[in-house]
Amino acid sequence: MSTDIQIAIVGSAGDGTIAAGDILRRAMAEMGYRVISFDVYPPEIRGFGKCIARLRVTDEQAYSLKPQSDVLVSLDDSHAIPHVNEAREWGAVIYEGGSVGPLAEGAHISAHIDPGQIPYNAPIRELSEKSTGSARSRNVVVLGYIAGLFRLSVDPFLRALNSKFKGKADVAKKNEAALRAGFEEGARWFRLDDIAFGPPPAKNGGATVEMISGNAAVVRGALDAGIDNFFGYPITPATSIMERLASEMPKHGTRLVQTEDEISAIGATIGAGFTGARAATATSGPGLALMAEMLGLGVIAEIPSVVYVSQRGGPSTGMPTKTEQSDLNMAVHGGHGDAPRIVIAPTNVEGCYRCGGKAFEMAEAYQTPVIVLLDLYLSNRYETVPFPAQPPFEADTNRYADTRGGKAAGFKRYALTEGHVSPRSIPGQAGGMHVATGLEHNELGRPNDQSAMHTAMSRKRHEKLKAALKHPDFTAYKRFGDEGPVEVGVIAWGSTFGEALEAMILAREEGIRCAALKVVMISPFPTEAVAAFMADSGATLVPELNYQGQFAGILQAHVARPVTRLARVTGEPMEVGEILAEIRRLAGRTPARQAA
Amino acid sequence: MSTVRHHVIIGSGVAGNQAAETLREHDPDSRITMITISRLPFFNRYDLPRVFRGERDWRRFIIYPAAYYRDNRITLRRATRVVNVDSASQILKLEHKESIHFDSLLVASGAGAYLPEELSEFRPLLHGFGAFRDAVTVADALPKGGHAILLGGDTIGLDLARTLLDTGHRVTLVAGPYTFWPHEVTPEERPQYIAALQRMGIVVVEAQSRGGIAAIEPGAKGLSARKLTFEDGSELAGDVVMPFFGIAPSLDFMLGSGVDIERGLLVTPNLRTTNENIYAAGDVCQIWTDKARRYCFYHGWKNVRAMGELAARNITGANEPWVPTQDEALHLTADGKIQSPFWEYQ
Ligand SMILES: Cc1cc2nc3c(=O)[nH]c(=O)nc-3n(C[C@H](O)[C@H](O)[C@H](O)COP(=O)(O)OP(=O)(O)OC[C@H]3O[C@@H](n4cnc5c(N)ncnc54)[C@H](O)[C@@H]3O)c2cc1C
Repeated sequence: MSTDIQIAIVGSAGDGTIAAGDILRRAMAEMGYRVISFDVYPPEIRGFGKCIARLRVTDEQAYSLKPQSDVLVSLDDSHAIPHVNEAREWGAVIYEGGSVGPLAEGAHISAHIDPGQIPYNAPIRELSEKSTGSARSRNVVVLGYIAGLFRLSVDPFLRALNSKFKGKADVAKKNEAALRAGFEEGARWFRLDDIAFGPPPAKNGGATVEMISGNAAVVRGALDAGIDNFFGYPITPATSIMERLASEMPKHGTRLVQTEDEISAIGATIGAGFTGARAATATSGPGLALMAEMLGLGVIAEIPSVVYVSQRGGPSTGMPTKTEQSDLNMAVHGGHGDAPRIVIAPTNVEGCYRCGGKAFEMAEAYQTPVIVLLDLYLSNRYETVPFPAQPPFEADTNRYADTRGGKAAGFKRYALTEGHVSPRSIPGQAGGMHVATGLEHNELGRPNDQSAMHTAMSRKRHEKLKAALKHPDFTAYKRFGDEGPVEVGVIAWGSTFGEALEAMILAREEGIRCAALKVVMISPFPTEAVAAFMADSGATLVPELNYQGQFAGILQAHVARPVTRLARVTGEPMEVGEILAEIRRLAGRTPARQAA
Repeated sequence: MSTVRHHVIIGSGVAGNQAAETLREHDPDSRITMITISRLPFFNRYDLPRVFRGERDWRRFIIYPAAYYRDNRITLRRATRVVNVDSASQILKLEHKESIHFDSLLVASGAGAYLPEELSEFRPLLHGFGAFRDAVTVADALPKGGHAILLGGDTIGLDLARTLLDTGHRVTLVAGPYTFWPHEVTPEERPQYIAALQRMGIVVVEAQSRGGIAAIEPGAKGLSARKLTFEDGSELAGDVVMPFFGIAPSLDFMLGSGVDIERGLLVTPNLRTTNENIYAAGDVCQIWTDKARRYCFYHGWKNVRAMGELAARNITGANEPWVPTQDEALHLTADGKIQSPFWEYQ
């Protein structure tokens, strides 16, 4: 990559840190760079907690954030000081050169900048006050300074700023002045860092590249797949899915209802699915727990429904603003009885779009609830995504029975078929059969608790899902890196796959034969593919963000081979360096041998 | 109470860095903080002419890697200006209003280029040569084979002239009383040294012979970037004009400190100022010399480094007097070349 620059802006709530990150990533995306970004908010709703906006700017889409940033900006030294080591050697630390009041020794960030880092002590507050009459635009001054310092055009920043403050002409005007003041200041500084922006990549033919968050991509996928109804109850970090749909769905003539709780939300979703609508809900772990009973109904009544779940630190209220992958067991197994369902977990924002839309196809094609499992890190992170000119989703994948004329006579809603999927009818369909029961039933949907019937129906409900592994135009799993036998194979799912892929690439650069397997479809489990991958791997590493190693547990239930679990519950994304260290260890590369 | 002493050094030049190294050696448990306006870690300023030889990566100039400061527990505070020293309460204030308490303070703030008052109005048109940035800026402004006009001609300037000639540039020296500074050259010796400069390829114009400098202006469009006019109306065109009139100690921040100052900070032979906790070393200080019965400046990087080391030793308990380590006389070699002891590098 000729451009690979990570910028971190650290401030306090109220400093405009997140807004600055937003403008910066919009400007970078407009220039044509690829961006991945993830913001960290304080858990407190009020107060002065720490905010960090991090974005990595590249010319090819990156898979994860880097452990070290090239540029660290402090909008609040008390919060930025613990992060100053995040700036790499010869990287830039941009900070306020002055101070409003007296400071004790060590309270200024300059006391903590390493001799290997390059200090840029800009008069941020003064420029904001001079250009706008207040210190509130310090965040925008900093953006201008970054543009000036790194000799970037100020225009994309101006456009991003104006779109951010659309409809607030006065605010936009003041901030434009702040941006320009920062730009002029940055442009006159002598550069000592070694940070270099290469030319942005050429525009992608056909596809439009947009900068979008994971949750926004899910929404776009749902809309492009033709969602009819959404029922939801707000919960971090899934709320923005509902918020976006609430503003978008009316434009499409479709409906969204905020229900009184998650139980109603899933009930209404399954109800809408029963009528043939493409319906979805969105929640997080605590909400999924409440939905567990209803999901069982969706399974036994074989009704399509889509549940977007964005995980956060748990259990219970847990750590609502921290990321974790600890709802996997519940997503796959949660509920009573044998209640198989499809669980797909995108690994990046583009995947959020695809899974967000494909979930409807699968729900219809296999007549079952489909859980799309995200986590806070994926929901809230931004990436530049090339959207295809035509949405890659089938408008209708229902297998409706043809009940016209005399054909209704032999129709059985729960017929035991070769492919295990029964023909379906929806309410109002002449000659159809409109049963939806939570009781075990026979092919006609009538209550039946005979052991042979329960066995046959249980098998049907499990077996029909297997075809989902080969669902058209859907990547259920994919191998990256070296082909054939490798020293270490890394298997990862969800948001952690980005870090795993990055670590694998670095390991290969160090001469370790290594491959990574991305598993998107976790239920049904791609046993054959995983077993084949593990057969190729001298050692198998499974990094994930939960304490138990939940994915590793599921994996071992399907493939009886040893794996090394790298399970972390820091509330933060997995560190590439940690995965890499584990790969080295498994490959028998001690640091000393490496040096040799 | 903590017995760990906090040694603070203002300046990260030769004197400051040598002092930090010696302090660490002699007081292993102490805290050491070195404060500097510079954004770069320490490099030898006599190396700056290398920029004209195409060396633009400052990392190739620095003497110690970042790890050196970490390993030796030297807190290096760059881009940081001291604005005030309160010697009574042993607190210094930084420009951004941070206060730092010190047990011992070494002032090694060096000196900046001196510019005679009559030329100060032309400052925006002059190219400085004190910092890495200056060197890059002037090198960028000087085209291939371009013409540099050096004013004054102290030994720093003459050293640069040697590199400029070597790299294919033209050099004109507008000579005057500062030529050869800080070497003392008698009126009798002067012609032979001027002739030696001319033999090197430098065009020498005695400012006095043209009545002094009247104006420095931007050159007309399409011509050289600078035009220098003498009082007699004669003109000189060049791409850059650089002043080399010796140096003036950097000690503004010491003005209210209560420590005695003449032109530099006045120190005893063991480099202590009039405050027992404050020492000075390097270009900023004037040392009492019994023989001359006055406070003297001692120039050249070797002297400066020795001062840094001595001050650190004395701060940590020794009581040794300053002995100059360097001969300060200018020489002509057998083949008629100028040789300054300041040009002997490590
Ligand atoms: C371009 C150039 C070429 C030279 N060539 C030669 C040569 O060839 N041979 C030779 O012997 N000598 C040469 N010298 C002179 C030699 O470099 C000096 O004698 C020597 O650098 C002085 O060292 P010092 O430590 O006293 O101060 P300096 O190296 O001047 O360092 C002073 C330090 O103090 C800091 N400082 C100043 N004020 C403050 C403040 N208020 N707050 C915080 N920090 C402050 C500065 O940032 C700097 O770090 C040259 C000098 C220059 C500028």
